This record gives sequence, structure tokens and C-alpha cells, in this order.
Amino acid sequence: MNIFTRGIRNTFRNLIRTFSVVFILGLSIGLSLIMLISRSAVNDKINQTKSSIGNSVSIRPAGINGFEGGGNLLTTDQLKPVSSLPHVTSITETLNDRLTSTNTSLQSSITAGSFGQRQANINNQSNTPGGNGGGRFGANFDPANFKPPVTLTGINNTSNLASAIGATNVILTAGANIDASSSSNIALVGSSLATKNNLKVGSNFTIYSTSIEVIGIYDTPNNTFSNSGLIMPLSVVQKLSSQPNQVSSANASIDSIDNLNSATAAIAKQLGSTADVVNSQTQLTNAIAPLQSVSKLSLICLIGAVAVSSLIILLTMIMIVRERRREIGVFKAIGASNFTVMMQFAIESVTFTLIAAIVGIIIGVIGSSPITTLLVNNSASSSTSVGGNFGRRAFGGASVNNLKQIHAAVGWNILLYGLIASLIIALVGSLVSSFLIAKVRPAEVMRVE
Amino acid sequence: MLKIDNLVRSFNSGGTEVNAVNNISFEVPSNAFVSIIGKSGSGKSTLLSLLGALDKPTSGSIIVDDTDIAKLHDHALIKYRCNTIGFVFQSYNLIPNLSALENVMLPMEFANQAKSYRRDRAVKLLNEVGISQDKHNRKPGKLSGGEQQRVAIARALSNKPKLILADEPTGNLDSENGKMIFNLLHKLSKSEKTTIIVVTHDLTIAGKTDKSFKLSDGKLIK
Ligand SMILES: Nc1ncnc2c1ncn2[C@@H]1O[C@H](COP(=O)(O)OP(=O)(O)OP(=O)(O)O)[C@@H](O)[C@H]1O
Ligand SMILES: [Mg+2]
Repeated sequence: MNIFTRGIRNTFRNLIRTFSVVFILGLSIGLSLIMLISRSAVNDKINQTKSSIGNSVSIRPAGINGFEGGGNLLTTDQLKPVSSLPHVTSITETLNDRLTSTNTSLQSSITAGSFGQRQANINNQSNTPGGNGGGRFGANFDPANFKPPVTLTGINNTSNLASAIGATNVILTAGANIDASSSSNIALVGSSLATKNNLKVGSNFTIYSTSIEVIGIYDTPNNTFSNSGLIMPLSVVQKLSSQPNQVSSANASIDSIDNLNSATAAIAKQLGSTADVVNSQTQLTNAIAPLQSVSKLSLICLIGAVAVSSLIILLTMIMIVRERRREIGVFKAIGASNFTVMMQFAIESVTFTLIAAIVGIIIGVIGSSPITTLLVNNSASSSTSVGGNFGRRAFGGASVNNLKQIHAAVGWNILLYGLIASLIIALVGSLVSSFLIAKVRPAEVMRVE
Repeated sequence: MLKIDNLVRSFNSGGTEVNAVNNISFEVPSNAFVSIIGKSGSGKSTLLSLLGALDKPTSGSIIVDDTDIAKLHDHALIKYRCNTIGFVFQSYNLIPNLSALENVMLPMEFANQAKSYRRDRAVKLLNEVGISQDKHNRKPGKLSGGEQQRVAIARALSNKPKLILADEPTGNLDSENGKMIFNLLHKLSKSEKTTIIVVTHDLTIAGKTDKSFKLSDGKLIK
């Protein structure tokens, strides 16, 4: 029998009270943990979303969207000063081209379908002067026999391939990546296109009467369109398609999301009316605003739950000390020091809290996932359409739709936080009881009950 | 053994000073069995808590074996309460969730005695005060009043104190049990060689002690 066993034994002196306190305290600790877990899951998601949307600025020639519209493409020379603007870390320039049977040996792996036929027809008739888009299929065009063109993307930087070809993810399945600054006739071929044309790493095919070597095969899961494309160095595409210096779109990377707006303004100023310069900030802000409010909410709940837990153990300890005033007096009268009595009560308070912490951790582990989902679904339901088509194409599939797919993971660090929080709570209880214990006068034992 | 000089303990209750112990001086020789009598409110319990260092005097000195405990600091007072004094209370004051044996072992734990020693001595003391082996592991709630007071006496003896202070130890017991407890204390004062000061209302008990002091309104009258 010593101070530890006494402290622990005292915890179970009043079973009904112990059960109730442990239950309420456990619930409260469980809630704190759930909030901690939700908060960290939501914050992870916010950061992940921020980084997936990226610190990028989309630069597109004014009046042109893909192969639609009119006006002039941008030029490499025009974009050169952009890369030296403050906060711009790199610039990815792309030039898109459509290869038809007149200028390539390749067969598209996409079937025309009714959509393709209609688009082809419209494109052929609307031969807008002055632009690079339009009228590419010649006068003898027969929509019924239309074969979709093969999309060729010239790129000067492969660090963000996915965004350059409008896919969420690009996996290299065979061979190697191309050197985007190369002037060799090399290409990455989408896996569907490669299958359709029997291309392997090392095979050759022809575009604009030039033989091109396949360096690598890529796959874009869940994106049939990108999977039937070609990726080549920018300068090669510019030369072969006789569009020297031309760039159909560019993405500037900014050093930090905090500088995104100022850098966007600087780029827009630099390029003037020739380009539409936009960034993902607005989309991002809208997309993560509900998540941020969930994060804030869970922080408030976390603080509240910890405060409530502390209050519960505090009141419990006050109640216990008051109840055992006389006993404390007896301990002191028969030779126990204040410290000994305080320690015994501290052990009792820690035991209470630890049992409650175990209950709380169980509640937390079970409850964190459904409650996180509930919180996020309720507050993020209005954000599902944010980003939309534009967001996805311009910013490389900033997949706002899966903002709701938050994984509430219970990590060791969270359990550790829970335990630390519990110990702090226990300490609060112990300190309060110690203060009261020190005030008990041993002479009180002489009073007859 | 014990020498008290001009001892005063005053309380401030509702603005007026009350001298619960009012300038008392007396001496108690070693191994004496002494009683203190007096009406309710005469200051008996207050005096006892001063002697046991549960309370500090307003003025005066309490010399125990050449040390004035009125001048001791907190740490020394704890040691004094632990090693020199044994308390027996009217309402027993056993720790309710500890067994009889554990209650008796408790003061020895505070005196840092080895566990085996604590157990052996507690068993021996319980047997000495007449608690049979089968009751050693009972909680106080499952013992009679007389038995609880015997356990309390065993607990008071555990650290071989020089002075046992008993505040109406028979007050909650019927006369037969009271007599047994009194006889036990009397016997122990001889066998354990301790000084015993017992507060009582019972004049027949007081008459059997070596010496009897009478208190009235905080003053010693005889
Ligand atoms: N903590 C205190 N604060 C104020 N007054 C006190 C305090 N303790 C005792 N007194 C007063 O001191 C006086 C003596 O009290 P004490 O308890 O010593 O009497 P007693 O002789 O033990 O009486 P009883 O026989 O009823 O136990 C009483 O008037 C009491 O009201
Ligand atoms: Mg009294």
C-alpha cells in the first residue's frame, strides 16, 4: 500500500461518480480529439488543394480558346520578359496543333461520333480570316467521313505536363520523358494513340513529312482525349507547323500563393491587351472558404471541449476534496506532509483523466471519420461547382469536386496530443485540489462530526 | 517530558477575541497517564491540538523534550506529528477505504519504514489491542465502534510515539466499551512507555489517572 495504490484506489471509491465523470470526461476528450482530427484533416485538404491548384497564372492569347476564336497567338519573345518578373519562378509555354490526314501518318484513336462530325462541320464552314483557327480541313470536306484530328502539344517545360495537356495526372508507362528544350524530332505518345498506330518506344511516325521518334509512352487515367495526344518539344512543333515563335498558351509559376495576385497583375500589365491573364486565386478562395470555416469551427469546438474537460475534472476534484476534508486533516494529523496528500490526489485526478482519455480516444477513433464527413458535407455542399470546366482546363484539374473527399486519419501524433491534453486537464484538477488541500487545517480533525 | 508555559490560543470570532486557551502552564512527567476534564467549550480540544502541533499557539511555549514546538517550522512540525505524537479521536477518524491493517500501517509509511516492518508491526499492534486476525483486513465500516477505536489506538502507537493525545476516546462508546478502551490505554501507557493525555467527561475515568487537570473557560483551575 503506498501513495500510488491509494490514489488509484480512491478513484474507484464512489463507483457511480467515477462512472459518470469518466463518461462525461471521456465524451468531452473524445470530442476534442474528433475536432483535432477533423481540423488536421481539413487543414491537410486545404493545403493539398492550395498546392494542387498551384501557384500558377494562366496566360492565353486574347480572343482564343483552344482552337476557337480569333486574333493572334502569343510569341515566345513576348513571353520572355514575363519570366523575369518578380515572383515568377518559371513559365511553361505550349503550342497546340491539330494533325489531320493531310499532314500525318497517324490515325486518331478517337472515333468521330456525332459530336466530332458536328464540330468538324462548323469548323470547316467558319473560315475566319486573320486567325489561326478555322478552315483546316479543306473545301472538299465530307463530314460523314470525318476523322478526328490528332492533338499535338508543343511544350518547353515538362515539369507540369498534366496541366499542359489538360489532364489531372500523366504517368509515363514506357521509355523516357522528352527534353522539352531539345530541337530533336522526338515525341511522347499517348497510350491509346500508340496502340491504335502500333507505336512503341523507338518506333517512328511522320508528321509534316518529317520522321519523329517515339521516346516515351504516357497514360492519362480517365482522360481519353489526352490519352490520344502527342507531346513534343515546343521549338520542334513551332518549326514543323510553320508557326515560328508562336505560343497558344502559357502558365507562369509563382513562388508563393501569397504573391499570386500581385504577380498576375504584373504579368497582365506586361502583356497588355494581347493576353488574358488569370489566376486560380478566386477559384481557390471560393473552393476552400467552406473548409476554412470548418477548420475554424473545429478549432472553437476543440478549445471548448478542452475547457469543458478541464472544468469537469476541476469541479470533480473540488467536490472530492471538500468531501474528504476531514480525511485530509487526518492524514496531516498522523504525519503526512502536504506534498504527500497532494500527490495522492494528483494521482487520483490523473487516473480519472487517463481512464477518460482511453474512453475519449475510443470515441475519437470511432467518431472522427463520420463527424468530419458530416461537417465538411454540410458546409462544402455549395462549393461543388466551383472551378468548373474552366478551372479544370486552365489549372490542370484543380479537382474542386473532390474537396469533400476528406480522409480523417487518426495518427499517433493526434493520440499523443490527446494524452498531453488529458494530462494538462489532470494537472489542472491536481493543482486545484492541491490548493484546497494546503488550506485544510489539521486541527479540523478535532471537530466532532 | 512536557512543559507548557503561558500558553494562549485566541480565536477571532465575529470581531471579538476569544481566548480558547487562556494562559495555561503545567508540566507532565514522562510515562504519566494524565486526564483533562472540563465543560463543553472550555478549551480541551484546542489545548490538545496545540500539544499535537495541529495548531499554533498565539503565544507561550510548549516544550517537548527540550524543544519548543511552538517555534518549529512546517517541515519539523510534520516530523514531530509523525514521530512523537499519536492521536486518538472521539470519532475514530480511520480512513474508510483502507483496511484495519492498512490504517495502522499508514503512519509508518509517512515515517518511511520498510514495508515488511510496517506489516509486522501493524499485525502485532492489532493483536495487542485485541483485534483478531480475521478482522485485520476489514474496512472500518465493518467494525464496531469499540473495534474501530482499538484500531485507532493501534494506529496512534505505530510510530512508537512519546506522547499519545486522546480527545474523548470513549465519547462515542457505551460505558462498557468505554471502560475497555480506557483500560487498554492505561495498560499501554505502562507497556509501551508512553505519556498519555486523555480528554474526558467521565469523572470516574479521570479519577483513575495519575494526574487530572481541570479547564474552565480556557483556564486551568486545579
Ligand atoms: N477554529 C475556531 N474558530 C473560532 N473559535 C473556535 C475555534 N475552535 C474552537 N473555538 C472556540 O474555542 C472554545 C473552545 O473550544 P474547544 O473545541 O476547545 O472546546 P472543548 O473543551 O473541546 O469542548 P467539547 O467538550 O464540547 O469538545 C469554544 O468556545 C469554541 O467555540
Ligand atoms: Mg472537544
